[in-house]
Amino acid sequence: MTGISGADVRKLVVACDAGMGSSVMLAGQLRRELRTTPVTVEHHPLNAIPADADVVLCQQGLADRASRAAPGAVVVGFRLFLGDPAVSAVVAALKQGGPVTGTVGG
Amino acid sequence: MAVVELYAPPAGDSGFKARVQRFGGYLAGMVMPNIAAFIAWGLITALFIPHGWLPNERLAVLVDPTVHILLPILIGYTGGRMVHEQRGAVVGAVATIGIVIGSEAPMFFGAMIAGPLAAYLLKLVDRVTVDRIRPGFEMLIDNFTAGVVGAVTAVLGVLAIGPVMRTFTAAAGHGVSFLVTHHLLPAASLVIEPAKVLFLNNAINHGVLGPLGVAESAETGKSILYMLESNPGPGFGILLAYLLFGPRALRPSVPAAMAIQFLGGIHEIYFPYVLMKPSMVLAAISGGAAGIVTFMITGAGLVATPSPGSIFAYLAETPRGGYFGVLAGVVVAAGVSFVVGSLLLGFGRLARDEEGL
Repeated sequence: MTGISGADVRKLVVACDAGMGSSVMLAGQLRRELRTTPVTVEHHPLNAIPADADVVLCQQGLADRASRAAPGAVVVGFRLFLGDPAVSAVVAALKQGGPVTGTVGG
Repeated sequence: MAVVELYAPPAGDSGFKARVQRFGGYLAGMVMPNIAAFIAWGLITALFIPHGWLPNERLAVLVDPTVHILLPILIGYTGGRMVHEQRGAVVGAVATIGIVIGSEAPMFFGAMIAGPLAAYLLKLVDRVTVDRIRPGFEMLIDNFTAGVVGAVTAVLGVLAIGPVMRTFTAAAGHGVSFLVTHHLLPAASLVIEPAKVLFLNNAINHGVLGPLGVAESAETGKSILYMLESNPGPGFGILLAYLLFGPRALRPSVPAAMAIQFLGGIHEIYFPYVLMKPSMVLAAISGGAAGIVTFMITGAGLVATPSPGSIFAYLAETPRGGYFGVLAGVVVAAGVSFVVGSLLLGFGRLARDEEGL
């Protein structure tokens, strides 16, 4: 999938290799930022992204793998773990209902 | 973002990289959920062995069974669970007992094979039986198919997989001691640091170096292999170089990244800073190699995998009397990475040039 409307997103998954380190950190931040929305934020290893994930956020270097592991989700790759514009764009879209566009495939 | 994009190489993702990452992800995925058990074993070892902090014969008996039996079985269990959930986990653990029994070296690589393999066999068996079971016989069939697969794979482990993996583990151990005795270990940074920033860090550290390190530290009480990939020094040096000489748009985010990397041990946070200017990998390699040289000269080692690779994990897992070497290796690695990284960033000249653009 290449895009989804922010209003339709119910589950946002932050993925990293082990699902124990960087994804937990970012998921924690996003959970706070998205507290007021109906979106559930989870963190998982790339090899175990749940099938009901609507949007998957992961580092660009892992985005290829994420799109294979979660073909039904919109995969958004970001570059920096702190203050990356791609992440802020997703957060804004989820809050205001704008489109979330995938960065891989399509 | 213009400044950041100037530094960004074109994205060249390949299916090959994704495949290697995924394979590495499976290896690391069997070990990482069990890191706490490795740390428990490392702490018990550091405390109670004869030259530990609190030598105690009665408690030191924990050391051997934990590393030879418990840890491989946890890996086999987790590997089985990845393939076939709870049922896979159980047969994975049973299969692993087959290879750990009678082995002198801890059988981590064997567990990484036997666990998933047994679970896969059970998955095939389940696929055949699932539609053929008459109502009321589910529990009977499920328990006995898993029991039979477990028994068969445990026997296979003793007779076949165990001996093969012992040969493999011994060969890997010889390979490592060759590198150590010929002072070639620092060259490992040539492979480790580039692979690390391509997000193969867990695969290398937990899939390869950790299991080799356990074999060494089970004998000698510490291992340098735990520190080859996990040294927080090189990443810290690179971030420091970015803080002082990197593109101005990036600098504000760097101090938080430094804390997360060096104190929190989440190394992933500095990989993007290397990837956006790939020549920075030279700073990582030289820092990593300098750190390893320092560890070798000072005879440093840790008692278990420091995971995450935080300075606190390093200090907690340093054996008695080993602080100087461990800290020296971290500091030297950070210093060398910082100097090389600053050179590569032109001591801020690049950042100034961009502002003129």
